[in-house]
Order: sequence, then C-alpha cells, then structure tokens
Amino acid sequence: MEGEADAFCCGGCEAAAAIIRGAGLDRYYAERAACPPRPEALAGAWTSVPVEARRDGTVAARLVVDGLRCASCVWVTERVLERTPGVVEATVSYATGRATLRWDPAVTGLGTLAGRIAALGYRPRPLGEEAAPDRDLMLRLGVAGFAAMNIMLLAATIYTGWWDGMDPAWAGLFRWTALVLATPVALWCAAPFFSGAWAGLRHRVLHLDLPIALAVTVLYAHGVAATLAGRDGYLDSLAMLVTLLLAGRLLESRGRRRAAEAAMSLAAAVPGTARRAAGGRLETVPVEALRPGDRIDAGAGEELAADGVVVEGSGQVRMALLTGESEPVVVARGDRVVAGAVLQDGAITVEVRAVGRETVLQQMAAGLQHSADSGLRPTAADRIAPWFTAATLVVAAVTCAVWLGLRGVDTAVARTVAVLVVACPCALALSQPLAAAAGLGAAARRGLLFRSAHALLDLDDVTLVALDKTGTVTAGVPVVTTAGDATLRVAAGLERYSTHPIARAIVAEAIRRGIPLPRGTGVREQAGVGVTGVVDGRPWRLRRGGPGEVLLLDDAGSRESIRLADAVRPDAAQTIAALRGLGRRVVLLTGDHPDVARRIARTAGVDEVVAGAEPAAKVSAIQGFRSAGHRVLFAGDGLNDGPALAAADVGVAMGHGAASSVLVADGVIAGDALGPLVAGFQAARACRAAIRANQRRSLAYNALAVTAAALGWVNPLVAAVLMPLSSGMVIWGASRVEARVRRREE
Amino acid sequence: MRAVLFLLPVALVLGGVFAGLFLYAARQGQFDDLDDPPERILRD
Repeated sequence: MEGEADAFCCGGCEAAAAIIRGAGLDRYYAERAACPPRPEALAGAWTSVPVEARRDGTVAARLVVDGLRCASCVWVTERVLERTPGVVEATVSYATGRATLRWDPAVTGLGTLAGRIAALGYRPRPLGEEAAPDRDLMLRLGVAGFAAMNIMLLAATIYTGWWDGMDPAWAGLFRWTALVLATPVALWCAAPFFSGAWAGLRHRVLHLDLPIALAVTVLYAHGVAATLAGRDGYLDSLAMLVTLLLAGRLLESRGRRRAAEAAMSLAAAVPGTARRAAGGRLETVPVEALRPGDRIDAGAGEELAADGVVVEGSGQVRMALLTGESEPVVVARGDRVVAGAVLQDGAITVEVRAVGRETVLQQMAAGLQHSADSGLRPTAADRIAPWFTAATLVVAAVTCAVWLGLRGVDTAVARTVAVLVVACPCALALSQPLAAAAGLGAAARRGLLFRSAHALLDLDDVTLVALDKTGTVTAGVPVVTTAGDATLRVAAGLERYSTHPIARAIVAEAIRRGIPLPRGTGVREQAGVGVTGVVDGRPWRLRRGGPGEVLLLDDAGSRESIRLADAVRPDAAQTIAALRGLGRRVVLLTGDHPDVARRIARTAGVDEVVAGAEPAAKVSAIQGFRSAGHRVLFAGDGLNDGPALAAADVGVAMGHGAASSVLVADGVIAGDALGPLVAGFQAARACRAAIRANQRRSLAYNALAVTAAALGWVNPLVAAVLMPLSSGMVIWGASRVEARVRRREE
Repeated sequence: MRAVLFLLPVALVLGGVFAGLFLYAARQGQFDDLDDPPERILRD
C-alpha cells in the first residue's frame, strides 16, 4: 500500500480495505459484532436454482460469480469452496465468471456455498435464463462423426470393388452395416435440421434448413431402397454432410453464447445480497427476499441492492453505472438512491422503495433491451433459401421428366436422386456461421465483443461514427493538469486514504512525478465538503474550488490550487485518424458545453462537433444523420446514451460504462480504450468479404454439381468426393478472415 | 476375406466403445467449457 495508487486486484479486496479505513469504521465493527462469526447461508432464491442430480448421490449446479477481477480471485474462491465440508468439486471460470459446483446435499446446500462466495466479497447469483450449453449438439456431432468415419471406411471398400470386382455377398454385408450406422445419423443426429425446417414452414418462412432436411430425407430413403435392392447408395455422403453441418452449427452457437455471456457479465451490476436490519439484528439476505419497507445497510465500497430513500447516515454515492458520470453525489437523510449505485464512502441505511424488476436500473435495462431486440433477422443465406429450394425442385422435376421420356423409370429416379443429393446447400449453410465465427473471434481478440454476427456485418456498412465525449473519447476520470510539486505532495498525503476519483487522480499524479508520499495524520474526510488533516506537523484543508479545481488551504491563509480535467484517451487521436483512413466520417456528440467539447475535439482530431446535446437531442442528431443517408455507429458509455445507442445502426458501449448501455448496445469494448473500434471495422470488412466469397463459391459449386447430376455424371463415389471439397472450400475461405485482419493492421 | 467377418464387428465394437466414452464424457460436462482449462495452467 505504501506509496502505491489505490489499485486493488478486485472488488472484494477494495471493499474490504475501504470498509476498514473508511468513514464507517466504528459502525462496521459494531455491525460485525451483531453478525454470526461464520458466513451465513443465503436462503430464499437459492432453493429455486435448478440442480442436477448425479448418480453418485451428489448434486451439481452452475452459478455466475460477479466481481472476479483477477486470477487470484478465482484461486481463492476455488480453494475456499473446496475446503467447505460436503463440496466434492468446485471450478470457477475466469473467462466466463461461471462457477461449477458439485456437492453432497446431505452435508451442505447451495445457499451455504453462495454464502461462502459472498463472504469473500464476490457476488454469486443464479444463472437465470441462459442458453443451455451446446451439450445436445455436441452429442449429436459425436454420434454423427463416429458413424461417418465408419461408413466412409465401408464405402471406400465398396468403391474399390467397382474396379476389382467384389462378391455380392460381401458388398451386401458392407452396405447393410453402413445402413445400420447411418440410421441414427439420419433419424437422430439430423433432427435439428428437421425441426428447423418444420418451424420455418409453420411460420411460412423458407429456411435454409428446408433444403437440407429435404436432402437428408432423399439420401436416407434412397439409401434404404438401394440397400434392399443390392445397389450402392449415398449413405457416406449423408453421414459426412450431417457431421459437417452439425460442426458448423456448434461453432455458431458457441460463438453466440460466448458473446452474450461476455456482454451480460459486464452488465451485471446489482449485488446478489443485501444486509437487512430487522428487529435490532442484521441479516444477509438475497436481493430477491427484499421487500419495500425493509431497511438495508450499506458501507463504503458497497453497491446498493435496491432503490430507496436514505433514512440514516450520509455518504458519497457514485452513480457511474446509471449516468456514466464519475463524479460522486453527496447523499444524506431523505435523499433518493438507486440500485447499482456504489457508496464511495460513508455508511447509510436505506429504506427500500423498489426491488428487482421495479428498480430504475432494471426497468431502464429491460426497456432498452426490448427496443434493441428487433427479432431474429434472416441471414443472407436464409434469403437465398426460398429460390434455392424452388430452383432445386424445378431442376429435379425437369431431370425426372426428361430422363423418364428418354430412358425410363430406373434412370430417371437415379438421376433425380443425384440432383437432390448434390443440391444440398451444405457449403452454403456453412458459409455464414464459419466466417461469422472467425470475424467475431478476430474482433473479440482485439477487445471488441459483439452480441451477434449481424451487428458485426452491419459495422461494414457504417459511414458515420458518432462518439460520445465523457468516458468514450475521454477516459471519464479526472487527471491532474496543473499543480505545484509541493502542493501535490501535501494533497497526496491527505488524499492517499480516499477512494474518491479526485483523490485517486492526485495520488496517481504524485506517484507519476516520483514524489514520496507523506503520511497524513488525523485525516478526516467529510462527504461533499473536503478533507482535513495534518502533514509535516501542520494542519491542512482540501476544499473544492471551482469546477475542475481543488484548493489546498492552511491556517496561515496560504491558498494553492490543483487543476483537474477529464483527459482525452491516449489512443483517441490515433483511433479517430484510423477511422478517417477507413473512409468514415467522425462526429463528436456530447451534452457538454461547446467550449469544452471543441477543446476535446481539437485534441482528439475531430472537426465535427455537436455540443450541448441532451439525450433526446443525441437521438435526433443520429436520426438526422440516418435520414441524410448515413449508416451510423454510436459509441457511448452512460445511461443517458441508451436511447442513442438504440437509435444508431450499430451501438457500441464502453465496458466500464453504465450497465444499461452495455445491455442495449450491439457491441461492447472490453478494455479501457477506443482502439478496438478500428479492429472491429477491419474484422467486419474481412468477415463480409469472406461470406460473400464463400457464398459465390458454394453457389457456383451447387450450379455445377446439379448440372452434372442432371446429365447423369454423378454417382455415389463422385458425390462423396464433391461434397467435402465444397465444404473444405468454405472452411478455407473462413480461415482467412484472421489473416486478412492481421494484414490490414500492419 | 473371411477375416472381415471377425474384424468388422471388432472394429465396430471398438469404435462404439470410444463413441460411448465420448457420449459419457459429454454428458458429464467435460466439453461445456473449452476456453478456461487451457488458461488455467498459466494461473496457478
């Protein structure tokens, strides 16, 4: 701690330290005496969390743990859980913030385990609604892969027999074995495509699953008929096709789930538990158990669990989560506070007015989310699907009719089946998910997480980039601009104990200048007023001067000033120049005063500024750009940016910004930088190019293959060679996305 | 060629055993998180 800035590894450590040295010190210990010595079990909501019973009598469940900031957080959580009696296994994923727990229900319970996690300072919460893991797809893929490999071996034997000759009895054995292996593939593994096609039909949409389901049906039916008749079918093609399609689908769903999880965990803000004061004692309860009228206590560093009114105590509350403003607000008896706000210092008791979905935060998030969910949009491949299906059926019908006239029933059936088989849009169906997964991955590796592939692709059409000022172009936290070394030294000595953003800025600047921090004694921080204390044996007072100014006063009447300002992000100018280089118009869109906005714009290299824009004015500015023919990207971080994020074609939120902005945005910048935007544009372009090229290739393949099949040049062996070739082509196309993005970066 | 009559079932049973092991592992959740374990080794 000595001489270091207030940098903590995680929320837990920070909260603990803040509590111990904060203003609510005595109060904390008074409360602690009232608490049982062991972390208590969290009752209520935890009993309704679905658990999975295992055969050995243990049960397993997954939780989200918020507030894990570092590897040691994960380590500590795992060790503490593993040492809890009754726990068989506990793993915590740093990447996703998920804890997987397995325990003996006779010894312990989920509530107790959640209580242990909460006692460490992290916030466990039930998973809630979440896409189930892709276990089902994985199982189907495993079975299909196993069958496909064995069938291909058998098929290779049969095909060799075409030249060398083979005893019909042996060929029959191989064919029957292949049929047995292919049956679960067609009937069980391929089920997602049948249900997809059926769901599409019911909603009167021709989905790409329909031609796939059609091909699978024809392949399997022909396989059965051919095996009965002692001829060769296309069962090897069937198994391989289903395997490839399932692999593509798995990849797609994994990418989507990861993006959604990442965005949701950034957005998760409200703590899972609260300390409720009831009848003279204090109990820890899950947020769900809170009712309006309850009284909850909050100490320094804690997040408020519910909306309410302060009935006791005072403190400074940071509402960055809601408003995106880093400046704390002073609250005292009678003031309204909202869930998700962080109590910077002090200690307050809040009478709960609204909980859960009724809180301002949740309502905003829900409302914004609703406006953002415009339903699933069809992919480009889905748009092709109707005429693709129609064309296939027409060609098949013509083939059947022509060959019926020329050669009779047998030839006509064989050729029609061949047409339907090679027309299966396997490569087309793979073209989008593979390229999208590659594009999303390339963007994510560079710090820009997208909720869906659509958002990434829309990015390529964007012509105008509108940037919010505070927290987006600027870092959103104050930085010392001018101060004398001696002044800074004394101020840092006083402020080293505070978590206030201004205090952090002063201490950070002192450390940057290499000034050894003196130790202030008798330091008292008065919320909203300032700090008093003794440094070098002399008493000092730190008071707020004007906007962006802090005054250091002593009893002799000396008066020194420290000026602070919100600084432009170090990578802002470079990013904006790069965006221009990509042919995008850049506009600064801010609610701030025009003078401030212009100064920031000059530093960042933006020449178009819309200043003094209220949230509604931001929306209308964006709508104005859109009606002028622009496709608009808006990047912002505050709650008041929510409507603007939703109004833009693509909304990108800053990961450290307001939770609601993260919820409504199409993409989130994970780090504390602006640079990932450029990487996003490059990934979008590479992804779009790969999808287009893949679609051209796969349609060209289908056209060629269908023609060949209609002319009678396709037999099971030719199909078995052609199909993986077309899919391989598409996989190769998608694999080049990362390379393209990398080349553009150089 | 007659060896095939013996080898074919053996191959299928062996393959089936591995497919069964895979199904068992997937049901146990072994493949639910493919991202974290590779990083885990760097953290301890």
